[in-house]
Amino acid sequence: MAKEEGIPLSPGRKTRSSSFSLSSSLPQNHRTFFSHTHLELLHGHCHSEESISLDTLTSSLPGRKPQIHEILRLIGPLNSPMLPLLLYGGPSTGKTISVLQTFRYLNRPFVYAGCRTCYCPRILFNSVLRQLLIHEKNAGKGSSGARRCEKPSEFIDLLRISLIQVVNALRERNLKLGSEESDRGNMIYLIFDNVELLRLWDKSSTIVPLLLRLSEILKIPELGIIYISSSSPDAYYLCTGSIEPIPVYFPDYSLEDLHGIFMRNQSNPNLYSSFLSVVLKPFYRVTRRVDELSVAFHPLFEKYCDPLSDQCLVLDEAMKRRLFDNLQPHLASSLNDVFWVPSWASHQLKQEGEHRQKRFWKSIRKEASNELDFHMSMSVKYLLLSAFIAARNPATLDASLFDSSGGSNNPKRKRNLQTSLDKKDNMAEEILLKGPGSFPLERLLAIFQCITSVAESMVEDDHFENDFAIENENFRLTSDVLLQLSALCNANFLCKSGSCPLEGSTRYRCTIDEEMAVKVARSINFPLSSYLYRR
Amino acid sequence: MIIFVLEEFDLFTQGKQRLLYSLLDAMQTLTSHSVVIGISCRMDADQLLEKRVRSRFSHKKLLFTPLTTDDMQRLLEHLLYLPTDSSLPSDYLKEFNSNINNILSDNKFKEILDLLLAADNSISNIQRFLYQAISSMHFQTELLTLDDLKSAFSYHQRQPMLDKLQDASILELYILVCMNRLESREQDSYTFNSVMKEYKAIQDAYKTSDNYSKSVCQRAFEHLIERELISFANNRLRNLSVEYRPVRLLLSSQELYQSLKSNASCPAILQRLLNYETYR
Repeated sequence: MAKEEGIPLSPGRKTRSSSFSLSSSLPQNHRTFFSHTHLELLHGHCHSEESISLDTLTSSLPGRKPQIHEILRLIGPLNSPMLPLLLYGGPSTGKTISVLQTFRYLNRPFVYAGCRTCYCPRILFNSVLRQLLIHEKNAGKGSSGARRCEKPSEFIDLLRISLIQVVNALRERNLKLGSEESDRGNMIYLIFDNVELLRLWDKSSTIVPLLLRLSEILKIPELGIIYISSSSPDAYYLCTGSIEPIPVYFPDYSLEDLHGIFMRNQSNPNLYSSFLSVVLKPFYRVTRRVDELSVAFHPLFEKYCDPLSDQCLVLDEAMKRRLFDNLQPHLASSLNDVFWVPSWASHQLKQEGEHRQKRFWKSIRKEASNELDFHMSMSVKYLLLSAFIAARNPATLDASLFDSSGGSNNPKRKRNLQTSLDKKDNMAEEILLKGPGSFPLERLLAIFQCITSVAESMVEDDHFENDFAIENENFRLTSDVLLQLSALCNANFLCKSGSCPLEGSTRYRCTIDEEMAVKVARSINFPLSSYLYRR
Repeated sequence: MIIFVLEEFDLFTQGKQRLLYSLLDAMQTLTSHSVVIGISCRMDADQLLEKRVRSRFSHKKLLFTPLTTDDMQRLLEHLLYLPTDSSLPSDYLKEFNSNINNILSDNKFKEILDLLLAADNSISNIQRFLYQAISSMHFQTELLTLDDLKSAFSYHQRQPMLDKLQDASILELYILVCMNRLESREQDSYTFNSVMKEYKAIQDAYKTSDNYSKSVCQRAFEHLIERELISFANNRLRNLSVEYRPVRLLLSSQELYQSLKSNASCPAILQRLLNYETYR
């Protein structure tokens, strides 16, 4: 961001480096898991950051000691050529951070390219070439400017030229070095992250073999390549017999490792370790991923510490028992949540004060989750419900469910409905398997008109002694409804399905689940269950 | 004399083969001396050529056979012995090379080598194995030992599928067992909803402590898809949500059974469910 004379920067804008320096002032609970983010590490490899010792390396990454040692011995001492490595393991097992920290410890020049941020070949190639250019500059040689490339063939040529230049520059720099500066070696390392995403790219049949055989194609002994992937090596077998990379496996964290990870950087270790002893084992049965566990533990820890007035107390057994009893009901409900989004109702409660008993809190929370958290207009709610009905019911049932007067109040109609329902026993099974069907626009609007006319008549019957005026205009089929249809599509409540090739009309699918439909129906007192086909 | 070397020759035969045609054509018409050499892994690479290209081809094929045992021995010696004219001290050289000699003639090494080559006797396999052994050489003794080779062999023989199964959480194992039961009943295609039905039925029958809600099970299901232990049966219905797409297991019942047995924290009920069809 260029600072121009006389134009003040608005106070809201921050550069990336300033926001990183602020992160150390965040409270302990919100501190990110690792003390350095990736971006800092990447900046570090270009500038000379102080390197860390082996002990710091292994202690900052608990549970990854054997893997780090394996990587270190496969990379080997300074200036030793290496075969390509493939580090694989599940997501959030610390692969990327281990490699980056290892290179910080080794203090050797490397180039990092992630296939998630470089999402197409052109960006990947340009990123690698640009970083090599930076290395050349650091090693003292002037450069001839940025090179751009589009095709793999250009990339290989430019890469070979860049690598040879960097290696020569490094060698010359090392020759000129005095004893006070550290020798960074003659080798340069390429790290490709998230290699499994390459298989999903458009040109994957050419890109994947190209990248995996890079060392063989370039034949530069000073180049070391490391691939990081979530998929196992058998996803990358090429049938053209090249040197496959050596696999290094990163298993998921065990219970003790997770304990060690969560205990890092805690302000009150005793309190947190008693919390973990309660919480870790049940959650470990559900998921082992650190990111999901930390999201679940954070609100639970706040609830755990609620009764404690002084957080620096040393806990004794009775206290621990009390805290556990306090936490117990929340534990069960938290195990069944995927993530806890604080709803508006719970924010209100927090503002009103923390003097609620846990029973009351639980019932409030249940009620809050039974209501809709956001606001929709009446016609949008009716439209959504008609989409839900259209998706769930088979089309042939429409004639029996709806008629021009709306509703199934007629007893003869009810009998007809029952007989037609009995005939369709397999329908529910199919719907369960295949999912909600798609429906054309005309059917959606027809159902919408039917249920809104019913609602109109119901509202008129119930409320005609009241004064509040009913907006009849909302329920007529105006262009507003069609606008709201597109709004629903944008919000992903409806989505466009493939259109029928014969008729050419577009078909839609409803993507909300039954829970949400029930909530919407409840908010407008609509008898949804009487319209749905159930076995 | 210009020599054109085309690697992965079979990839040039895709499409219209314009490059091959023009190259071979130019060789016949021009008076300069040039040779085109194609290298390919496919034995039938010359059958892939078009008629007009094949007529310009000289039909000379050189076949490279895999290594015989003698060649293997020579390769190992070439890779492992330190060259006598290197800059290292000569007594260290002698010690290292005699050590290698002892190892190569050891029977246990021959057994390991046979096991290694039985699966894959390509040179790249041997290179990778030896690289792992050399990298684990102990710095104090500075000699290659048989233990290094043995540990390299065990690293080499990892089974990624079983490793992934060891990493799965208990809920994910439940889902895999449910899917296995559905497959053993020969249901052609089943979706996440059918798996949930089976899971709920098991929970109702056995009342275990592992009864979780649908969203949590769906998250575990998506983890399994990420890890490639299960996958979608066809890619056509990509617009449907995860619950309605047909899925299938990517591992065999044997692998599942083996990993459940070796998993210490796995509840005993899962193994029983694998074996028995009914909810007993």
